[in-house]
Amino acid sequence: MTASPPADPPLPQPDLIAALPRLRRYARVLTGDAARADDLVQEALARAWEKRRLWAAGSDLRAWLFTIMHNVFVNQRVLARHERQHVSLDAEGDGQEAWQLPVRAMQYTRVELMELVQHVGRLPVEQREVLLLAVVEELRYEEIAAVLNIPVGTVMSRLSRAREKLRAAFAVPSSSSLKVVK
Amino acid sequence: MARDPALAARVAELRAQNAALRDALDPWLGEALPDRLVAATAAPARGARRFPQWLGLTAAAAASLVIGVGLGWFGRDASLQHDGMPTTFTRQAALVHTLYAGDVNRPVEIWAAEEKRLVTWLSKRLGFPVHAPDLNGVGFALVGGRLVAGNEMPTALFVYENADKQRLTLQVRKPPTPVEETAFRYALENGVGVYYWIEEDCTYALSGNLDRTQLLSIGRVVYGQLAAFEAAHPK
Repeated sequence: MTASPPADPPLPQPDLIAALPRLRRYARVLTGDAARADDLVQEALARAWEKRRLWAAGSDLRAWLFTIMHNVFVNQRVLARHERQHVSLDAEGDGQEAWQLPVRAMQYTRVELMELVQHVGRLPVEQREVLLLAVVEELRYEEIAAVLNIPVGTVMSRLSRAREKLRAAFAVPSSSSLKVVK
Repeated sequence: MARDPALAARVAELRAQNAALRDALDPWLGEALPDRLVAATAAPARGARRFPQWLGLTAAAAASLVIGVGLGWFGRDASLQHDGMPTTFTRQAALVHTLYAGDVNRPVEIWAAEEKRLVTWLSKRLGFPVHAPDLNGVGFALVGGRLVAGNEMPTALFVYENADKQRLTLQVRKPPTPVEETAFRYALENGVGVYYWIEEDCTYALSGNLDRTQLLSIGRVVYGQLAAFEAAHPK
């Protein structure tokens, strides 16, 4: 048997599967549409396999996948804008169903959380992705800057603008009332 | 911060906002994963996938075999309690399953991305053509495989995983001396369910922490595919 040249090492599939729920959530925050979100995840996975030599084994696979998916999304959006002028994917009312709240709600009432999700959906996509990565995924500012390929200062200003808008639109109950709500 | 009530209030507000956002978006993580995305985590096949095609061609043959196994299993279960199969076989199968399927990061030697290389290598080491069944239809994707030491003969191990990160293993080996064919049999070893059978001089063990009926139905899929494979690749 002739030895073939070593191929690029495969991506660890169990880790990819483990990352899927978070990829889907990020995609849903980006696209605002559940079906388009899954298309985006699928495209990002295909791209990840193509580019697997760029992933340094042992480094954070999730952040790397976020980076790839962000790039796929941005490229698709550029294409879409070329094709259809005046269509903003940031527009409210775009893909409303993705912003419906899943079943389980904890400290807040379902209505409150639904309102919050709606408000997140109305933020510009640049702000909501920073919000997701910083607050929900808990990436560090430097990591977010790397994922989105923007300066750290931009990460921080987008985050604070997102926070201010949410704060104005959605009065988070004060901590003393948190436990009461059922 | 304790001396600055305004700052403390601001921090509390940020924390509350963070908690609300997580509460709002975390439940999305618990949703069932669509099959197409789970499939997309596997390495893309080089060239066309031939598997579904020949499976289609031999589906009728495989189905009849599965029915045969099903009938055999119900009819012969009691009488085959001890003959043919060393009792240590299932114990060893469960042990190997626990050892490798339990290894989150390194369950296999060769990952599914290089399935062809994996199968070629295992076939060479075992001395007969082996084949990794495609279990995507029942929600389990191939993770990869490795060679493990059997009692006297090397054993091929294939590891599968579903969206819930449950793992299944399939072990294949040829006993040193030919043994009689058996129908499906089941053993529970330390919480690991093992379905095993002998066919064409090969012993197979399908192990997993699944309930018995689920394991059996997957076992039938495996059996049908292996039977179809053997029909196409006579030893």
